[in-house]
Amino acid sequence: MPEYDPGKHSMIDSQVLSTPATRNWPALVELRRKFAGRWVFSLLLVTGCAILTLLVLAPLYTLLSKSVENRAGEFVGLENFAHYLSSGGIESAFFNSLWVAGLSTLVVVFLAFMAAWALTRTRLPFTGWIRGVLVLPILAPSLLPAISLVYLFGNQGVLKDWLFGAEIYGPIGIIMGSCFWTFPHALMILLTAMDNADGRHYEAATALKAGPWRTFWTVTVPGARYGLVSAAFVVFTLVITDFGVPKVIGGQFDVLATDIYKQVIGQQKFEMGAVVSVLLLLPAMLAFIADRYVQRKQSASFTARSVPYKPSQDRKRDAVGALMLTPTLVFIFAIIGMAIYASFVTFWPYNLDLSLNNYQFGRMDGGGWGAYGNSLQMALGTMVIGTILVFFNAWLMERTPQPRFLTGLFQFLSLLPLAVPGLVLGLSYIFFFNHPDNPINGIYGTLFILMLCTITHFYAVSHLTAVTALKQLDQEFEAVGESLNASRWRVLFTVTLPLCLPAILDVALYLFVNAMTTVSAVVFLYGHDSQLASVAVLNMDEAGDIAPAAAMAILITATCAVAKLIQGLLRFWVDRSTRPWRQGTE
Amino acid sequence: MSQKTQGSRLEIQGVDKFFGDFCALKNIDLTIEPGELVCFLGPSGCGKTTLLRIIAGLECQSGGLLHQGDTDISLKPPRDRDFGIVFQSYALFPNMTVADNIAYGLRSIGMPKARVRSRVDELLNLVGLEDHVRKYPAQLSGGQQQRVALARALAPSPGLLLLDEPLSALDAKVRHHLRSEIRNLQKQLGVTTIMVTHDQEEALAMADRVVVMNNGVIEQVGTPLEIYQQPASAFVASFIGAMNFIDSSPLNGQRVKVGNRELELVRPLPSAEGAVRLAIRPEDVHLLPCGDGEWEGEVRALDYLGAFIRTHIRLNDVELDLVVDVDPRSARRLGLCVGGGICLNLPSDALHCFAA
Ligand SMILES: Nc1ncnc2c1ncn2[C@@H]1O[C@H](COP(=O)(O)OP(=O)(O)OP(=O)(O)O)[C@@H](O)[C@H]1O
Ligand SMILES: [Mg+2]
Repeated sequence: MPEYDPGKHSMIDSQVLSTPATRNWPALVELRRKFAGRWVFSLLLVTGCAILTLLVLAPLYTLLSKSVENRAGEFVGLENFAHYLSSGGIESAFFNSLWVAGLSTLVVVFLAFMAAWALTRTRLPFTGWIRGVLVLPILAPSLLPAISLVYLFGNQGVLKDWLFGAEIYGPIGIIMGSCFWTFPHALMILLTAMDNADGRHYEAATALKAGPWRTFWTVTVPGARYGLVSAAFVVFTLVITDFGVPKVIGGQFDVLATDIYKQVIGQQKFEMGAVVSVLLLLPAMLAFIADRYVQRKQSASFTARSVPYKPSQDRKRDAVGALMLTPTLVFIFAIIGMAIYASFVTFWPYNLDLSLNNYQFGRMDGGGWGAYGNSLQMALGTMVIGTILVFFNAWLMERTPQPRFLTGLFQFLSLLPLAVPGLVLGLSYIFFFNHPDNPINGIYGTLFILMLCTITHFYAVSHLTAVTALKQLDQEFEAVGESLNASRWRVLFTVTLPLCLPAILDVALYLFVNAMTTVSAVVFLYGHDSQLASVAVLNMDEAGDIAPAAAMAILITATCAVAKLIQGLLRFWVDRSTRPWRQGTE
Repeated sequence: MSQKTQGSRLEIQGVDKFFGDFCALKNIDLTIEPGELVCFLGPSGCGKTTLLRIIAGLECQSGGLLHQGDTDISLKPPRDRDFGIVFQSYALFPNMTVADNIAYGLRSIGMPKARVRSRVDELLNLVGLEDHVRKYPAQLSGGQQQRVALARALAPSPGLLLLDEPLSALDAKVRHHLRSEIRNLQKQLGVTTIMVTHDQEEALAMADRVVVMNNGVIEQVGTPLEIYQQPASAFVASFIGAMNFIDSSPLNGQRVKVGNRELELVRPLPSAEGAVRLAIRPEDVHLLPCGDGEWEGEVRALDYLGAFIRTHIRLNDVELDLVVDVDPRSARRLGLCVGGGICLNLPSDALHCFAA
């Protein structure tokens, strides 16, 4: 033990030792230290910001400026908007879009809430399988339900009489089709909100002699309110920005999304397409901002002290749950089953023999098997490049020292795509990347620009998943690494990535499936050599080849299902081999 | 086994830290000698963790200098400093076994495989975890995880060991045991150690010297005994252990007035004018049978705390409540009972005085 003299060490006179140089320039010292070794990471995140600016902000800006220019490129103020207004576009397309999306939202949130209640508050058997079936629609392009509905309720539909003379081509078809493909999105949000119920609230309600009905309204519904609001915003945005369903089954019924398509593809009026895009951007942006606002207010009500809720054995309640699930399950089976059946029927409705005729895409327009190959390539590329880009940027933002404003800027840029409808993004890509002055306009019409557009379109959700996973890791990992002479890079590869593997697999699957099924983001961008399967569905349907369209839609869905299966196996393997890490003793 | 690493000397000169306008540390000066175990002690939010992180280089000081040994480390990033650190959460890498966790720092300096293995074995022996080499952190108890974190920090033989509330996540029994274990290990290796804690018992039991902090400044630096017996400020006196405070006004020389009585002090007054606060520890007050002492009072309450009895006494002629600790035998001899009278003396050598 070293000797020391208490008088010497206690309360050393600070005036003697402090050096004036460091005293006078505290900010300078701090700045120098901060800068040392950190600028690499900041530079990388600046690059990330630049990439997103190039992929989101710049195209959007071009789109906005196009909407206030005439065809010759001169500034004309709001003339285009006035023109659109006087042509009656607002009354028809804008309000049609609003009420159709509003009604679909009501129906979907209602159905999804019933399903989520049945899955989390009763003791029904096979809930794992039921969940699996309920989220199936997410693997299908939004065109599939529309095609199926044509076969079910169309002019030659098997259940045409069920509509009592009403037309499926129009709002009814759009709403039914939209409900099908947006249902899983609402269900997953609500399941997350309702899975983590606090059992003590239910015990308290029972102790206070509340009946099941009262418990439902005073405990279950308030507990799920943020989930309900969030699901409503998400579904509304998805429906109002969707293009596939109204295109196939909308008939003469105009909505904003089909209007953009008509203005651009049908009449080559790009500036009017931009005007309609701005109008479509408005409600989507509003929903996005409102949702962010609600999410911020939502505080985690499930604390470490909460007791997970376990539904008690109750036959009557199980029966109610089964009753609530049945219509949705039947609807999903009917839509998918019909599409599969129709794709194998030789010549509807005259020759009902089953054959593979419709899968001989080489004989139709739309790109055939080549389009399917392109889609596969595009989806794989999107998955690989997208996952790496998303995770690397999220890691820079979350786990490296960054100036505040830079992380704020990056967060904004990453979430922005959530508010931009696919069609709008696609159109703005035309304006931006097809501009003769753009040095990289060579990528226009290639598979590469389709990948970029798809990655951008689905960036926000992937980013949020990655950030959530990274935030869950101990905040001190990098600090420990530095004290042990390991760089952040080494910690990234030896600790962070292995621990984030499940989230990485989730993001990869999400990007793959969406790249396979998306139509709206790519419909303006594909070129002669880069036709895609999902667009082929659209084109074949337009050409009247509905059965091959159904076949291609089924092929896409099957591909996504296989991808999901592979991802499921990988996750199972990861979970099993990492069980010892997570197996707590407490 | 006990290969002694030479712990390094650490000198902190005039360190300030601002978070925006908020001053978290103000002009910190401190020297830590090689091989010493120093505890940073203070109430929550006083800046202990901030100072520790500045020493590690994880946080950057707004001004001031740091020297480790002869090198100026003020501007060096954490990787170029020579320290090991254990966090409150331990931050063990969950995807690595105990052995891999301990070997992590050795591998990053490129130590040959065979030497890594022998060094890991050595450390496992040192912290007594030989049987758990192949386990993952989640399969260990809290105390075992703590030891792994300690072994991992010590593996590259750092000159300085930093511990941020290393025991606060453990239950009382394990905590007591690990306390002495860490202390023995530290002595055996001779590594200079800084430990942050807000548990004064822990600080007094383990430290060579205690640094008492409050509101971003150092209130006192001293051995546990000095801190307890000669608190440098009223804050230290009240923060460490229990203390009775008595307001008084100074008279001439070393005399002060309490109520209508005068007291003679053995130490000089802190300042010539202004009120003075006298302070005395509960165990330093002498209780006497009625009629024998200088002060008379009435017993208001008795708390039985095992080894001693905490007695609350209201003095008769001054408006003053005192807390006095007595052992049960003396209590019996004095016939202590609630409502009964009692006499007491305030020994002048046990009286501290602070500027009010
Ligand atoms: N990054 C930061 N930004 C702003 N203020 C901070 C930051 N880190 C710490 N502070 C503030 O500095 C003060 C000292 O914090 P510090 O963590 O050092 O306290 P502490 O003594 O370790 O307390 P505890 O015992 O609670 O751990 C606190 O008031 C805290 O709010
Ligand atoms: Mg702290």
